[in-house]
Amino acid sequence: MTFASVTAPDDSTLIVKTKTPQANMPYVSVAPNTTPIVPQHIWESKVKDLKNFRNTDFPVVGYGPWKLVGYKPDQYTTLEVNKDYFEGRAKADRLILEYFKDDDATIAALRSGQISAAWNLPATGYKTLQGLKDLMPYQQIATRWTGVEINPGAKSRTGKPLGTGNPILADPKLRLAMAYAIDRETLVKKVLNGLGTPGVGYVPPAYKQWAWTPASADAITFDLAKANSILDAAGYPKQGAYRVDPKTHKQLAFRLGTHSDDANDQQIAPYLVGWFKSIGIKLTLQPQSMSGLNDNLAKGDWDLLMDGWSTPADPTYLLSIQTCATLPKDDGSGGNTDAFFCDPQYDKLFAEQTQAFDVKQRAAIISQMQDILYKANCDIMFYNNNILWAVRTDKVANFRTGEPDADGSYPIQNLFISWKNATPVGGNSSSNAGLWIGIGIGIVVIVAAGGFFALRRRSTAAERE
Amino acid sequence: MTDALAAELAADPGAAASAPRWYRSSFWPYLAAKLLGAAISFLVMLVIGFTIFNVMPSDPVATLTRQHPTSPSQMAALRKQLGVDLPVWHRFVNFVGHTLTGNLGDSWQYHQSVGSLITERLWPTVLLIGSATVISVVLGLWLGIRSGWRHGSFFDRASSGVSLVLWSVPTFWLGLILLVIFTTGVGPIPTNLFPAGLMSTPGYSGPWIAHVGDTIHHLILPCLTLVLVIFAQYVTIMRSSIIDELGAPYLLTARAKGLRDDDVRRKHAVPNALLPSVTVIFLQLGTVLAGTITVETVYSWPGLGFLTFQALQIPDLPLLEGTFVVLSGAVIVMNLLADMLYRVLDPRVRAQ
Amino acid sequence: MTAVATAAPPRLDGPRRFARQFFRMPTAIAGLTILVLFAVLALTAPLYIHASDLDVTKATGGQMAAPGHGYLLGTDQPGRSVLLLLIWGTRESLAIGLLATLLAMVVGSAVGLLAGHYQRFVGRALMHVTDWFIALPSLPLAISLAAVLGQGATSLTIAIAVTSWTSTARLVRAQTLAVEARPFIERARALGAGNVQIMVRHVLPNVAPLILVSSTLTVAGAILSEATLTFLGLGNPTDVSWGTMINQALTTSAVSRGAWWYYLPPGIAIVIVVLGFTMTGRAVEHILNPRMANR
Repeated sequence: MTFASVTAPDDSTLIVKTKTPQANMPYVSVAPNTTPIVPQHIWESKVKDLKNFRNTDFPVVGYGPWKLVGYKPDQYTTLEVNKDYFEGRAKADRLILEYFKDDDATIAALRSGQISAAWNLPATGYKTLQGLKDLMPYQQIATRWTGVEINPGAKSRTGKPLGTGNPILADPKLRLAMAYAIDRETLVKKVLNGLGTPGVGYVPPAYKQWAWTPASADAITFDLAKANSILDAAGYPKQGAYRVDPKTHKQLAFRLGTHSDDANDQQIAPYLVGWFKSIGIKLTLQPQSMSGLNDNLAKGDWDLLMDGWSTPADPTYLLSIQTCATLPKDDGSGGNTDAFFCDPQYDKLFAEQTQAFDVKQRAAIISQMQDILYKANCDIMFYNNNILWAVRTDKVANFRTGEPDADGSYPIQNLFISWKNATPVGGNSSSNAGLWIGIGIGIVVIVAAGGFFALRRRSTAAERE
Repeated sequence: MTDALAAELAADPGAAASAPRWYRSSFWPYLAAKLLGAAISFLVMLVIGFTIFNVMPSDPVATLTRQHPTSPSQMAALRKQLGVDLPVWHRFVNFVGHTLTGNLGDSWQYHQSVGSLITERLWPTVLLIGSATVISVVLGLWLGIRSGWRHGSFFDRASSGVSLVLWSVPTFWLGLILLVIFTTGVGPIPTNLFPAGLMSTPGYSGPWIAHVGDTIHHLILPCLTLVLVIFAQYVTIMRSSIIDELGAPYLLTARAKGLRDDDVRRKHAVPNALLPSVTVIFLQLGTVLAGTITVETVYSWPGLGFLTFQALQIPDLPLLEGTFVVLSGAVIVMNLLADMLYRVLDPRVRAQ
Repeated sequence: MTAVATAAPPRLDGPRRFARQFFRMPTAIAGLTILVLFAVLALTAPLYIHASDLDVTKATGGQMAAPGHGYLLGTDQPGRSVLLLLIWGTRESLAIGLLATLLAMVVGSAVGLLAGHYQRFVGRALMHVTDWFIALPSLPLAISLAAVLGQGATSLTIAIAVTSWTSTARLVRAQTLAVEARPFIERARALGAGNVQIMVRHVLPNVAPLILVSSTLTVAGAILSEATLTFLGLGNPTDVSWGTMINQALTTSAVSRGAWWYYLPPGIAIVIVVLGFTMTGRAVEHILNPRMANR
């Protein structure tokens, strides 16, 4: 967002002029990426130096149906109702978020009634909550994807090659064969216990306006025979168990980097190793810490890396990380690229969609972009994992909002908007401050001022826990 | 967990044997030398710690800014702020200097100083380790004394067997199983007997004493897990000490004087047998700390062990270094205390 | 008294006397049986377990299915047989435990012998070094090694070895001091034996039994450490060991799902093997240490 000027002609109007036309400006008021507006006459008397104001002391500046009143890092957060919230006072007087380090502990707390709702439940544990009295588990449609990125030849903005990526991976046929060697249905079935959809398009299916599917002629399925024939035709002969590069006579052996703290990565990786072995490619697993992996990514020292992103309704950032502008400088710094993908046609379309104010028109452009990415096979989608919730119906009503789609997935609930109508059921005798709802969050942290959701599903521990 | 080995580890007779006579018999030079040794150990720990952590990739900026579109100049500014752009020797000097003055840096993920984080999490860990150690020692000593006094009996064999089996169990595995059994209820055990983690119930209002009760309620499972795994050490050492005492002549004298068996045991055998056990308590701290990391993680108990586990995530270097310094410092202090205590308690060591 | 624990160092009885005493102790027999059983399992596993049994892409069982239908211990999340995984896991768990212990033994014994023999400067210096390693927490070291060497069995083995050698060193040193106080050493010196000769030909044989006993304890600890470090995320997911099995059981919510056939057996296997080593060690120690003859 590049603002040219901001003016407030009257008490309830704000006019923002941007330097260039920006089609995603309206998203500024859509949670979770809301940019709250605090009038000057309110903050003027309380904050001396606005630029350095960190908003970490109580009372914090916030916005929403509840006010932050207590915070114990890694333990819990307490919020009390904001009586003056403009959309009306929320039904629950208090909201308590408890953080559990361990998924089994979260599920145990749900079943024992210690907490009233939980979020980001593991796919493998979700089924234990079905069929239980007073427990209502449900899925929210996925705002994210998990996949693998392949190094197509890491280079800087000026074209200087970077890093130790295997140059053979620049061959698009090799990457195409890899795409054919991935059984997405099995991954959804075995890793997600069926609680997700096979990945196709770059933009997750939660946002129907950006939905895209490839033309049937281009659609990639799980076909080991086809993958093998592509590799045969591309001239990679088999020598023993694995294929070799005809020019260098080196085995087709690549490194697969995984996030050591991500349970799904750990589950998916052995499948990849097995399938790729069937087509003659050797994968060596390299579990790494998050900063280790990101370090190697930025330097270009990788062959294949597990990857995953989530996005709010406006996919601008998600699309931007595949543009040439995010490539690093010659010394390797200053870059923000996802997979060192760079395509002038893609960049052109990206520029076009930033100025396409008509949603249908913007969607058409984004569809073309997704098509380009799909054919490039630098980011191969595995699946879109649904977000898993469970609510105790004996403790809280009206928690879940919206209608389920054909697969039974509910629309995304942008946090406080959906919790606003949640009504506590029955009282809690240990509290003398009215009714409260305890909500357990398995893995995510909310930052004080209004909720700020990370795009990257696995960015920092603070975001995860 | 063998008897003689445990006894050996508790008393290191060779240490005294190699020192000059005058030094051995006077207290203050001995203490001074030990303190100097501890200080040197601590400095060496700093060097080792720094080396260990700085061979790892240590630029967290890409990870920390992944969720926010950040410009290159912002990233550079962040690098400077975190101090990751300095050369290695400069960072080492900073690290040693700051640590010795008490400044352990700022955590990358918590956005607060490591010192304050450690201070916050210190009490929960002390509470957990303290209660677990006290219970284990009492239980272990009682069992050890009883089994040693009548060794070879069924009680002896049963208690040794049970404690040995429990010592062999992986701590986190036991913790998780206990967690699920007692929170969701298995068979006759009712649901929600104990909370599924954390240290206190949020939003719990009531008198002060109720808070204490609530904390104890949350403490029971983690403490139980730790106790079950570590009490075996105390049983073994006490048992072997008592057995060693059994043949001692002074006991024969006591019996000849007409003292009852219980009194002989309580007033003569036990105090002498206690000696190695006392030092073992201090020396076992390192093992207990390792167990605490996993127990706190399973139960989301907000202590230093949990903090160390969190520090693993990015990895959060200042936090890792800080917890490393604190944990190894604690072990060094405990070893020092064990040495001093042994010397104070055992006149024979002083007289050598 | 325990303070001067080994005034009379244990002599190694003739092998036949040793064996007779050993096989008269039920705990010794139990311990040895366990060890032999697991060794046989580990060594014969490749005869009936094929790569396809361990490959997730070739798993044909139900997902986390209870025991039955040809799967004696049920299946894991991808559908592999837990029993086969358990047997195959014996190899890596034992390998890591034994290798780490071997390294720790070699280093620890060397340090202990040298420290006990050269009592003055070298000895004291070595004991200080030992103290530093005692204070070194194993987890940060394991993390760092994993980052440098890559996560997996190698970094785990080295991390465990580096933090396990200290107890052996102290034990060997105490024992060396006791042995060297005996007259036959003085005699050897008078006859012109050099330092190395004394250490290797005279002290070492008398210290060896204690090293053996100590090593059984170290293996037990190493196997437990492997499980803990893998639980904390420092293992390699394509490896099959008891630690990775427990780790994967936990991350696929086996405990919440009540899949006892998945998360209990590896833990129980660890307990049994650790017990095996400990019981054997205690039995050997019983026999070698005359003070304990009447226990």
